Amino acid sequence: MGLKKYAAVQADDCILNVQWAGDHLCVTPVTGAILILGKEGEITSALPDHGLGNGASSATPDLVATCGFDGRVRLHSLPACEAVAEVKLGRSVIERVVWSPDGQHLAVGFGKNLLILDRKGETVATFGEHQTSVTDAAWNPKNAREVASVSGGGARMWRLGATEPFAKFDWGGASLSVAWSPDGRWLVTGDQTASVHLYDFNRDYPLHIQGYETKVKAMAFSPDGKRLATGGSPMVTVWDCTPKNGPEGSTPGQLQFHQGDVEAIAWSPDGKYLATGDILGRLVLSANDKPVSAFQGENNITSLAWNADSTLLAVGDGDGLVVVFQAV
Amino acid sequence: MATEDTRVPVTILTGFLGAGKTTLLNRILTEEHGLRIAVIENEFGEIGIDHELVINTDEELFEMNNGCICCTVRGDLIRILGSLMKRRDKFDHILIETTGLADPGPVVQTFFADEEMQDKLKVNAVVTLVDAKHILLHIDDSEEAKEQIAFADVIILNKCDLVTPAELDSLERRIRGMNALAKIHRTTNAQLPIADVLDVGGFNLDRAMELDPHFLEEEEDDHSHCDHEHGHCEHEHGHCEHEHGHCEHEHDHCEHEHDHSDCDHEHGECKHEEHHHHHHHDETVTSVALEHVGDCDGEKLNTWLSELLRTKGQDIFRTKGIVAVRNNPKRIVFQGVHMIMNAADGGPWGDRQRKSVLVFIGRHLDRAELTKAFQACTL
Repeated sequence: MGLKKYAAVQADDCILNVQWAGDHLCVTPVTGAILILGKEGEITSALPDHGLGNGASSATPDLVATCGFDGRVRLHSLPACEAVAEVKLGRSVIERVVWSPDGQHLAVGFGKNLLILDRKGETVATFGEHQTSVTDAAWNPKNAREVASVSGGGARMWRLGATEPFAKFDWGGASLSVAWSPDGRWLVTGDQTASVHLYDFNRDYPLHIQGYETKVKAMAFSPDGKRLATGGSPMVTVWDCTPKNGPEGSTPGQLQFHQGDVEAIAWSPDGKYLATGDILGRLVLSANDKPVSAFQGENNITSLAWNADSTLLAVGDGDGLVVVFQAV
Repeated sequence: MATEDTRVPVTILTGFLGAGKTTLLNRILTEEHGLRIAVIENEFGEIGIDHELVINTDEELFEMNNGCICCTVRGDLIRILGSLMKRRDKFDHILIETTGLADPGPVVQTFFADEEMQDKLKVNAVVTLVDAKHILLHIDDSEEAKEQIAFADVIILNKCDLVTPAELDSLERRIRGMNALAKIHRTTNAQLPIADVLDVGGFNLDRAMELDPHFLEEEEDDHSHCDHEHGHCEHEHGHCEHEHGHCEHEHDHCEHEHDHSDCDHEHGECKHEEHHHHHHHDETVTSVALEHVGDCDGEKLNTWLSELLRTKGQDIFRTKGIVAVRNNPKRIVFQGVHMIMNAADGGPWGDRQRKSVLVFIGRHLDRAELTKAFQACTL
């Protein structure tokens, strides 16, 4: 297994996130135009920015949603990139938007509410009860009508059609990010402190992973939901989620492939490879906890994304460069 | 000689409703000063300036490590400033406006307690606007007003045209008694050179002493018309050591969540303490400055300060100091907020007289006790 450069494009600023939408790649820099790349890595469209800063975009095969510091959400069609809707929600910063797995609903953390928009930008639900601003949201991969939000105090799990959360995960701290395992069993939050909180839906049981040297800035479940990789320091920690009690009491796998702090992690959708990128520009591909390929870039790696058939890996860096590698 | 400091300066603007923050901010945003400034204001704040460089956020407090007041920081600032710091086109300055009723502690602590913030940003100054006419109506009853004055590096006594010179002198003496270190400006319509707000460079104790050797005599000394030049002070930096003696980190492990009924955090040794706002009336905020010509015993001083801040840190808003440690050719510069203390290399003493100065600003400060304890650390 090796990595071969397939395409490269330069955006205006540090890459906030890269995400595949079918054959297209959506590239969101911290500031400047949001780029849509075509099959050959060519820029097919540049979507308008969001003022002082962009939030993390989200894309489905036929619709891309962008957001940012201007308090707006914009929807554009793919591949034509025609404007579908623009919603001015207010003055608060919108840090990210997330499409549901079926691409029908968009979760937007706006102030202390989690808003759910439809494909036309209409608000179909407003979920409140958050103590502080909603910082991230994650949909249940097994149920496109369930979504989790995180804010100060913990996580809330919501079901479309209901007004109250169907579950709460109150641990009192503050979170930066949230992810739902592909098998639907686990919810994980990456915290403002150097820890991770896990919630086991099977047992209605919270777990706390602590002792990290740094904040956990990247985390990803394997496609089967059996493993959770977390990064923030040079060491990538991989937890086994398969036992009845999950990672509780277990010793994690510790991957020491990097010299710099790892801030981007992505499993290939076929489950074979784990891609990790660090602040020194090193990209490592590993399989079964062993490195199989590496690439040294010039700038800190900020975002990684595999395409659906695990043949292409997009790598965004702190200087706005996006390189698409082909797995060969 | 310190290496070039590339950190972006942050000015924290506090003050009660109506003190003149909007006027000052509008001037900063519109005047020609050659700086590109981003302003972070509270979503529900009084200002509501519609300007492309204004970012709205919701004040979001959380405890970083345990229940300690010193670990309460602003999560929204960490996220938004983190995003701003990724920009290729960095801002020259960031200005954070707090709501009139906010305790400035968590904002300041954000830049001390979070490593990323500390690496990329530096506090230029806490600037507190005071309504000279109305402050006396709430200074006795409002802990927030006292805290805003106590935390300040710069105090702007605004609306001076609405009070008599005698009233102003009296007010300034009162404020000086609470905060011996702050630079005080008297203004009307918040008219003062923008550099007095944006180019403070952190409070430089060393420079203050050099320019005004009597500044430690805060109770007698009238600073109302002092012309200290703070405009180009160099901010000490270097290899700050984050001393968080009471918070321990463990190796990676996974365990079942503890009972959260009493404590939100898992650091068992840290008690969850009352935070956010402390309404202890009839408490006086004062400054205590201590000086010793000669060296200190570094170990004794460290032990004493650690114990003092651990036990009394909630009442000590700010600590600043320059210390001469035995056998150390360099000055040690302290800056502290509540229980968090940073020590930095202040450069060689050179030909200057070796002496140690510590200043505490807080409530319940026992001058005699502090003096005695400090003297026990001196040589």
